[in-house]
Amino acid sequence: MQRRDFFKKSLVVAGAAAVGSSLEAASQPIQGQKISEVAFPQKRPMITYSDRPPLLESPRNVFAQAITPNDQFFVRWHMPEIPTHVDLKEYRLKVNGEVKNELSLTLDQLKNEFAPIEVTAVLQCGGNGRSAFSPIAGGIQWGNGAVGNAKWKGARLRDILDRAGIKKGAHWIGFNGLDKAAYYKTPNFVREMHMEELDENVIVAYEMNGEELPYLNGYPVRLIIPGYYSDSWVKMLSNLTLTTDYQKLFFMDVAYRIPDNETESEEPGSHKKVKTKPITTMNVKSMIGYPTNDTKVYFNSHTTVRGVAFDQGKGIKEVLVSIDNGKTWEASILDDGKNGLYSFREFRYTFNPSTYGKLTIMSKAINLAGEEQPLAQDIGWNHGGYKYNGVDSVTIEVV
Amino acid sequence: MYKYIIAAMLTLVPLSAQEVKEDMQVPYIPYEIKMGEHFDVIQAQCLICHSFGYIINQGPQSKGFWAGKVKKMKNAFGMDISDADAVMVTDYLFKHYGNGKLK
Repeated sequence: MQRRDFFKKSLVVAGAAAVGSSLEAASQPIQGQKISEVAFPQKRPMITYSDRPPLLESPRNVFAQAITPNDQFFVRWHMPEIPTHVDLKEYRLKVNGEVKNELSLTLDQLKNEFAPIEVTAVLQCGGNGRSAFSPIAGGIQWGNGAVGNAKWKGARLRDILDRAGIKKGAHWIGFNGLDKAAYYKTPNFVREMHMEELDENVIVAYEMNGEELPYLNGYPVRLIIPGYYSDSWVKMLSNLTLTTDYQKLFFMDVAYRIPDNETESEEPGSHKKVKTKPITTMNVKSMIGYPTNDTKVYFNSHTTVRGVAFDQGKGIKEVLVSIDNGKTWEASILDDGKNGLYSFREFRYTFNPSTYGKLTIMSKAINLAGEEQPLAQDIGWNHGGYKYNGVDSVTIEVV
Repeated sequence: MYKYIIAAMLTLVPLSAQEVKEDMQVPYIPYEIKMGEHFDVIQAQCLICHSFGYIINQGPQSKGFWAGKVKKMKNAFGMDISDADAVMVTDYLFKHYGNGKLK
């Protein structure tokens, strides 16, 4: 009840009607949040949790299609000072640290001097769906829409590093962008990865769905790490620094971490004692884009459920749909998968509603490794509210 | 070159924000935050780095949670705040955005 009261009273711009019980570790994330009346640059009006830094969530109906439009793609920044413009005459991507030749590349060089690589990949915030957790996990109470899928085009990170020449013993790479903190003392949002984690799919992208990246999604270039949560997909990427040793960084050592155990969960209040690890790769998940909670359909009408499914790149095997609260499940029809293993797969399932009144539709993805999207109530709690991937559910009305 | 063409066009026809790479302005959104004792400290300190939206969209939390957030802002992010003011901020947050629990 407290939770419900909170969302009724407090979410002014992103006003929401919360659902779910507080007894389980997780329930469905909040749905039906209000779309802001204020649009951000290059964006349609979106669910808006903060203007500074900008935190914008996509409405559910966006997930009826495999490619998320740029102007509805979610936005999450950490630092308050984002450059108000990027002058391409000044912009450089610098590569330094443990390299034989330091590089300072213009956008034109990135486009013309390296083979262009295209990859369709899902970008998802580690905290997507956090509002499902109870007790309420720390952080922005995202619904389902801190995720999107785009066709990215850019230069392969490996090609850039090869040109710089990696020195022997350079095991770590740090990524920094152009956003800045308000205090000098605030740590930059620098991310760090082990070189072994970076395969040939990692690119420095300058195109998103055939266009320049929207400013709020990281113009002019951002890092694309297919299969990984978005915390390391650094926006307005400006610097790659190679090091021999891991650098202690706030945004690596404290943020975006989960319990380092099999269920990646913990008892509320115990997290200072639990060993943690970075959130890294995404788990299997599906989301229904149509219908949504406010949809009314006619009795016995031809109703087609549409949605998307994805995982970390192991590949989606099937998406099952239930229209009887999970008692029985039927296979949906998947798209041809031509966008690759890191992309959303579209699914659809058609039925004719045969009862009047409220009807709940659920979707559950299973990947080729046999990993299955769990029911929300079977997901253990973690203090950061990361990696929620519960079976999706919408409740419509048959009239 | 492209930029100069855009600049020249801007003087003639109003373009939407879609085509302009210069001076992107993120709009200001007046998130409604509760008034109360020590709100002046909240306004002076918290807004330096983030909107009120960032506070109210955390959900109702324990006193320990809010104290931890204030500590994080001070120790990890460099907020310049006295210990006395930090207590006021915590008290305000727990009173208006608390869940009634100390831990």
